[in-house]
Amino acid sequence: MTRLIRAEFTKLRTTRLVYSVTAAMAAFAVLTVVANATDRQGAPPLSADSFSTFVAAPTTLLAGAALLLGILGMAGEFRHHTVTQTFLVTPDRGRVVAAKLVAYPLAGIALALTTLAVTAAVAAGWLAANGITPSLLDARLGRVLLGALLAAGLCGLVGVGVAALVRNQVAALVGTLVWVLVVEGLLMSLLHAPSLGKWLPSAAAAAITSPGGGHLSRLGGSLLLAAYALALALAGTRLVVRRAIT
Amino acid sequence: MAAITIEGLTKRFGDVLAVDDLSFEVDQGTVVGFLGPNGAGKTTTLRMLLGLVTPTSGTARIDGQPYRALADPVRHVGAVLEASSFHPGRSARSHLRVVATAAGLPLARADAVLAQVGLAEAARRRVGGFSLGMRQRLGLATALLGDPQMLILDEPANGLDPEGVHWLRGLLRDLADQGCTVLVSSHVLAEVAQTVDQVVIIAGGRLVAQSTLAALTARTEQLVRVRTPQAEALQPLLAAQGVQVDPDGGDQLVAVGTTTEAVGQAAAAAGIVIYEMRAERSNLEDVFLQLTSQQGVRA
Repeated sequence: MTRLIRAEFTKLRTTRLVYSVTAAMAAFAVLTVVANATDRQGAPPLSADSFSTFVAAPTTLLAGAALLLGILGMAGEFRHHTVTQTFLVTPDRGRVVAAKLVAYPLAGIALALTTLAVTAAVAAGWLAANGITPSLLDARLGRVLLGALLAAGLCGLVGVGVAALVRNQVAALVGTLVWVLVVEGLLMSLLHAPSLGKWLPSAAAAAITSPGGGHLSRLGGSLLLAAYALALALAGTRLVVRRAIT
Repeated sequence: MAAITIEGLTKRFGDVLAVDDLSFEVDQGTVVGFLGPNGAGKTTTLRMLLGLVTPTSGTARIDGQPYRALADPVRHVGAVLEASSFHPGRSARSHLRVVATAAGLPLARADAVLAQVGLAEAARRRVGGFSLGMRQRLGLATALLGDPQMLILDEPANGLDPEGVHWLRGLLRDLADQGCTVLVSSHVLAEVAQTVDQVVIIAGGRLVAQSTLAALTARTEQLVRVRTPQAEALQPLLAAQGVQVDPDGGDQLVAVGTTTEAVGQAAAAAGIVIYEMRAERSNLEDVFLQLTSQQGVRA
């Protein structure tokens, strides 16, 4: 199993995708800090507390990027027909999906760590330039970092699950977007029960990055999102195992 | 025990019966050509043998085991199925390193097989920029990675230039000399005729013939090609002697299984003028076409 997980990391390292996504996220992170720091209308003046707010800004998009990596990592095998070679080496297809379920959450976490480090560095620099010394021992900062890493990891897991089920890369990407942007909203209004909304996948993800309010607790959100991911992956694996690779 | 055993193998895709109760064996250390026209079911058979497609019924075994049950498949069997199964953004070397990592092989094998197939220079180039011939070579490199004792190749000569085909023949012959079992598919007999010991011919998903190449060559026939203004008169004359005669356009006839002497005698006796006459042998390709066209068209 370890060699399959290592092979997944080799696959990730040897195409440009992961570098492009990381670069894009880092650039986005710098932009969020600049935007947050310069546009202070209605916001409290810059203070040591601003630091955790700045660092928290890219977390939602980070979760999306981790989801994207997971989807492309699984569906890309079908798109480029590399799945033929992958299954020739490892005929036990369930093990291949399992290796991806381990590798992509880790990749999501690595992406989040890199992006958060860039965000923190730029934010700290900006605040320092304004004579403010941010505290790295801030409890709120710890919660932000934990939430961002958890969300990115679990979204990587969801991405692999979705793509194992859908297989077609475009369908998996479009389907995920439509689900998040349209279907969940429709479900909420159709069910006439806003209290059920917190059980939807994106609400579970939101509970991890910003728990409380109408959301579940962070632990509840994490467990729910992990459950969604594993259910998708399990159903997807069953399909992948049976499907003819032609 | 046979290296490859196909027994009653059948695959139905919806209404299409792609492979129909196919059975054959490949002995250890032989090079077998797996032949048939396009759409005969060669690729589906090979994919079933490699555990990529589940048969509707029947079994395909390698050394007595289904591919999916092999402990270390890459060290056991090398396969080349299609020339396009590479990530276009990954270099040839990285592609091989991914496979080596997953198979638990030393990464140095990647450079060794690249050199073996003549791609050492292109090792760090992205596969997206590779020609079809280079992809075929990379496919072969991937198959050789685990230094297997068996190779299963689906149309490996597709996209290779004449120099590449020559190189491929040499490679297969070397591997055969080392005792490697090779099953190589093709829709052109001539492509593999110089390399293989035996042929398995299928058409319409069914076995048409399995024989040694020598036995197939023995099925080629002596032909006499005749040009005469009295073709209509000569044809029944030869047919009466039990010779199969086919018109070959205009004033030409092809008499199968006879000699120029016999045709000349018959023509002289009947006072038929002959402009031109020559003896030839039908070639392997004719035998192949004859075999596959008889069985290939089924209701």
